[in-house]
Amino acid sequence: MKLLVCIKQVPDLESRFKPNAEGVWYNETDLAWRMNEYDEYAVEQAVQLREKLGEGTELTVLSIGSDRVVEAIKKALAMGADNAAHIQDPAAASKDPWQIASIIATYAKDKAFDIIFTGMQSQDRGSAQVGVTVAEQLGIACTTTIVGFEYDSGNIRAKRELEGGIKGIVKMKTPALVTCQMGLNVPRYPTLPNIMKAKKKEIAVIPVADLLKEEALATTASFHPPAKKGGGIVLEGDVGVLVDQLIAILKDKTAVLR
Amino acid sequence: MNFELSQDHKVLQAAVRDFVEKEIKPIAMKIDEEHMIPDSLIKKMSEMGFMGSYFPEEYEGAGLDVLSYAIVVEEVSKACGSSGVLISAHTSLANGPIYTFGTEEQKKKWLPDLNSGRKMGCFLLTEPNAGSDAGGTATMYRREGDEFVINGSKIFITNGGYLGTGVLFASFDRSLKHKGISAFIVDMSSPGITILKNENKMGIRGSYTTAFAFDDLRVPVENLLGKEGKGFNVAMDTLNGGRIGIASQALGIAEGAFERALAYSKERKQFDQAISEFQAIQFKLADMYARIETSKLMIYKAAWLKDNKMNYTMESAMCKMLASEAATYVTKEAMQIFGGYGFICDYEIERMYRDAKITEIYEGTNEVQRVVISKLLLS
Repeated sequence: MKLLVCIKQVPDLESRFKPNAEGVWYNETDLAWRMNEYDEYAVEQAVQLREKLGEGTELTVLSIGSDRVVEAIKKALAMGADNAAHIQDPAAASKDPWQIASIIATYAKDKAFDIIFTGMQSQDRGSAQVGVTVAEQLGIACTTTIVGFEYDSGNIRAKRELEGGIKGIVKMKTPALVTCQMGLNVPRYPTLPNIMKAKKKEIAVIPVADLLKEEALATTASFHPPAKKGGGIVLEGDVGVLVDQLIAILKDKTAVLR
Repeated sequence: MNFELSQDHKVLQAAVRDFVEKEIKPIAMKIDEEHMIPDSLIKKMSEMGFMGSYFPEEYEGAGLDVLSYAIVVEEVSKACGSSGVLISAHTSLANGPIYTFGTEEQKKKWLPDLNSGRKMGCFLLTEPNAGSDAGGTATMYRREGDEFVINGSKIFITNGGYLGTGVLFASFDRSLKHKGISAFIVDMSSPGITILKNENKMGIRGSYTTAFAFDDLRVPVENLLGKEGKGFNVAMDTLNGGRIGIASQALGIAEGAFERALAYSKERKQFDQAISEFQAIQFKLADMYARIETSKLMIYKAAWLKDNKMNYTMESAMCKMLASEAATYVTKEAMQIFGGYGFICDYEIERMYRDAKITEIYEGTNEVQRVVISKLLLS
């Protein structure tokens, strides 16, 4: 059985973002990078399945980007993936979701993956399109935002999270693709011995030009970093008034008083 | 020249950071208050591979390098100095000498339990009258058939209370001073070993600091570590490596205090502005950060020298000295930035302030480090 998990390296969201020279994306220098959170759920689920199925199952991790993304790849290898494909592309950020999906689909199409795992979206671009578009381009089944996953001899049973806390169960036959949501699992820490083992695992390096056949369907016109945060809301007045104001805000802005 | 961590080291650093953030930081205050690191945390750290980071996989080590070890101790100590010294004393002072001086049989017998954290390691050199002057060792041993019989006492033994595996130093003839000292691997649960006391301390309160008495402790002859009469060399070589661990612990404590002080200086408002807008605070932050970075460079260099099998005695002495003095300086200034809040136990700064001081004292006082450095300069 062959499994693929697709990951993206994203900046730490605590970072201070500045627009790049063209003003269409953030400036990538001086940022701390990590694996996209939703992709960590995808890696964990894929590794759990890989462990359950044991010998004869191969889990490949794929990431598109500059040499920097090898750090995210190495983390996935240390979490338990068997090998990796690094699609080398220093300009990945300028590609639209359709192109990114097409790169992955072109890589995957002759490799007969039974299940492909992706995060439900990236924390920086947040399009939530890549996973579903890969499935579409490969012509395989797909379900999104899963918070539960079971597999038994060619059948997937996935629990989906819908709006307002509603859950749904979806059944699919492989080959299929799932996009993973928070709550699916608790990603493991890469342990030191596994970081050591990961050093010996193979990372295939593939130039993006070998896989990219599609033109972009959409382009980002401009990028706007968040305005500098103010000092919050300062309430003033009698205690009674303050309490009413506070309760009104909590009801309006949060879920604690619903 | 390249001052950047390798991608493998960055992966490791991020993994350890993540672990520390979720598993250690939330309980660091409790560890200090209760004077104990929970067994559950020791188990988790062991599973992470923290207890044998740079020893080969054939002895159940993680197979990484000394730089990785330094990073682990640094990151752990950012949240908890007690947990940092637990790893450092265990790795450098117990696993270290057994790996360096042990026979193949000894390594196979003792290292897997230590590297996997099934046993905690300790180093039994210090005595009431033999600290910096190890030649004054008064714990005595004699040979009886296939055994050595040991009598005496040891104090200030980090990790002693776990009664795991110890590397113990004793003399067969006090008149020979350091040439009479031999090293032994000891199962600390053996008969003849009594805990006199687990000390109550100013800082690193979660770490055991134990006083022992040995009354006809019997150790099989195969547990002699290195050659008879060469124990002093074992001790000195071990402490040489151990300084990288303690320096990393000190660095972590300094960084932990600095991160909190930096964040606080941007939040705390006085006279209608964040206190970070005042030059008095800005200069403190600059001085703190410069000392942290200087220490880090020297620690990473010492680790790099050791990894590349080059002489690192000078650098390990310098990094221990620099980092421990950075730790006491930075925690002191961090407390000043926090003002009254820093003095209150609900904040973490006072704990870091207390934890920092010992790093100037143990594994060779900073006066001893200066002796080492100046001797090498003048030899």
